[in-house]
Amino acid sequence: MSRSKIFYPIIILIFSVAALATSLFLYIYWYLAVSEGLNTVVKNFKLDKRQVLEPQTWIVILVLSILVGFIIICIIIIFVYNQKNLRLYRMQHNFINNFTHELKTPVTSLKLYLETFLKYQLSREEQEKYIGYMLQDAARLTGNISRILNLAQIEGKSYREESVITDLVELTRLFLQNNQHLFQDSEITIHNHSEKRVLYSIKLGLYEILLMNLLTNAIKYNRSGKPTVDISFEHERSSLLIKFADNGIGIEKTNLKKIFKKFYQIGQPENMSAKGTGIGLYMADNIARIHKGRIRAESGGDGKGSVFTLILPYFSQ
Amino acid sequence: MTGNSMKKPEDTRILVIEDERHIAEGLKLNLSFQGYMVKIALDGITGLQEWKSWQPDLIVLDLMLPGIDGVSILRNIRLENERLPILVLSAKTAPDDKVQCFNYGVDDYLQKPFNLDEFLLRVERLLKRVSWNESADRGYDSESSFGEYYDFGNNRIDFNLSVAHCKNSKINLTEQEIKLIKLFIANRGKPLSRRKLLEIGWGYTGKTETRTVDNFIVRFRKYFEDNPKKPKFFKSLRSIGYIFSNDED
Repeated sequence: MSRSKIFYPIIILIFSVAALATSLFLYIYWYLAVSEGLNTVVKNFKLDKRQVLEPQTWIVILVLSILVGFIIICIIIIFVYNQKNLRLYRMQHNFINNFTHELKTPVTSLKLYLETFLKYQLSREEQEKYIGYMLQDAARLTGNISRILNLAQIEGKSYREESVITDLVELTRLFLQNNQHLFQDSEITIHNHSEKRVLYSIKLGLYEILLMNLLTNAIKYNRSGKPTVDISFEHERSSLLIKFADNGIGIEKTNLKKIFKKFYQIGQPENMSAKGTGIGLYMADNIARIHKGRIRAESGGDGKGSVFTLILPYFSQ
Repeated sequence: MTGNSMKKPEDTRILVIEDERHIAEGLKLNLSFQGYMVKIALDGITGLQEWKSWQPDLIVLDLMLPGIDGVSILRNIRLENERLPILVLSAKTAPDDKVQCFNYGVDDYLQKPFNLDEFLLRVERLLKRVSWNESADRGYDSESSFGEYYDFGNNRIDFNLSVAHCKNSKINLTEQEIKLIKLFIANRGKPLSRRKLLEIGWGYTGKTETRTVDNFIVRFRKYFEDNPKKPKFFKSLRSIGYIFSNDED
């Protein structure tokens, strides 16, 4: 969007509000002038005041001000809405750029190694190493494709999956085991103080997506040599709390709520300090809501790690 | 004089600045097979460090890097060395990105995914050209798009000798000061934020250290302004940064 287009709404807003304020002022001014004139006429002709419309000046001013004020508020609301849309558009644009990069990168790697294999005769050992890379790239591509498909489904509310009552601790443990290759350079521990099974009615596929998103984030946004995540299961009143505490780069207070917004990413679009797609936490939030729960983020600030808490309410199951 | 006085491949150093490990390793593998010596830098800052210490003959640069972005790195290198061949590999496809890179002096631009043979041939070509240039004007001072002098007000910057003639005195300029002056001159009339100045002029990133920029500006004003308190050339722009304006240019 060119600069002139961005300036337009602000200028329109200013002009409209100024015009309305001026017209309010003029209404009141002219009204006062007219009623003054009327008063003069009444006096001069010694008319009975009650035969002429009794001006209720203050009521008039009040009503006019309220109406005009209301119009101004509506205009401002429309303006704010317009700005939000602009921002969403910009973020969507960034998302498309980022996503294109996320897709192009593994494809570039695959192509590079395949062309290399064609060109040179490599030892079996080298071949296996690079084939391993290519498989990782294929997995990365698959992951990205799944993510975008899941997003479409979850948003379109066409996600068809039955809930199953299962032990979440065991489910989480299995997930970590099945995806060891992704988490091999990090330390993820499950803490279940009550030592009892944690049964909950959960949509398995969605829970896995949520786990994947939270854990890959914890590893990605981490500058320590070894990312660690502590997953703990707690009970609080009538809810189940699942906490994910990491030793990552932390989140600033102003971003704690924003990160769950669609396409929102911390960092500048130009320099890729925001890697990834910006939809991971948005999905996590959606998944929590599908289960009638919520997800929250807390952090000590820059460099102090973060804690993501999934709050799942217990209903009489 | 003409003819292939190109360096032997074994003596040619190529620096690959690319944060995606698989791609970086794949590039190193293939370039090594061509006989070149290859080093990988996984982010911009390491890349700049390696460029300074290892002095490669060619740089393969990815644009989407964590920390400092590729374009700032390109600009930083170009401030000091206009000859060094730089080939950009990028997933970015917008024509603006390409044009911007060429504006800043990139020698070649390949989009990802790219054809391996094409990449290798372009690298070879760039290296060949550099060796021709070097043998052609051995003995002449390297030409710079800045020319030999730059005048503003009563000041003259001599790029050859790294000296500034101002207000009846002669000042020897440090390498960093020359870099910064070049950056301002190349962007005269355009506002530059402190962050950008830091990224391009110093190759730094991060929220700290913008005071370094402020200190340099204070120094420049002392050198070049008739009245440092009312700067004509190095002006401040509130909450944006600084701008260098020269009405005679």
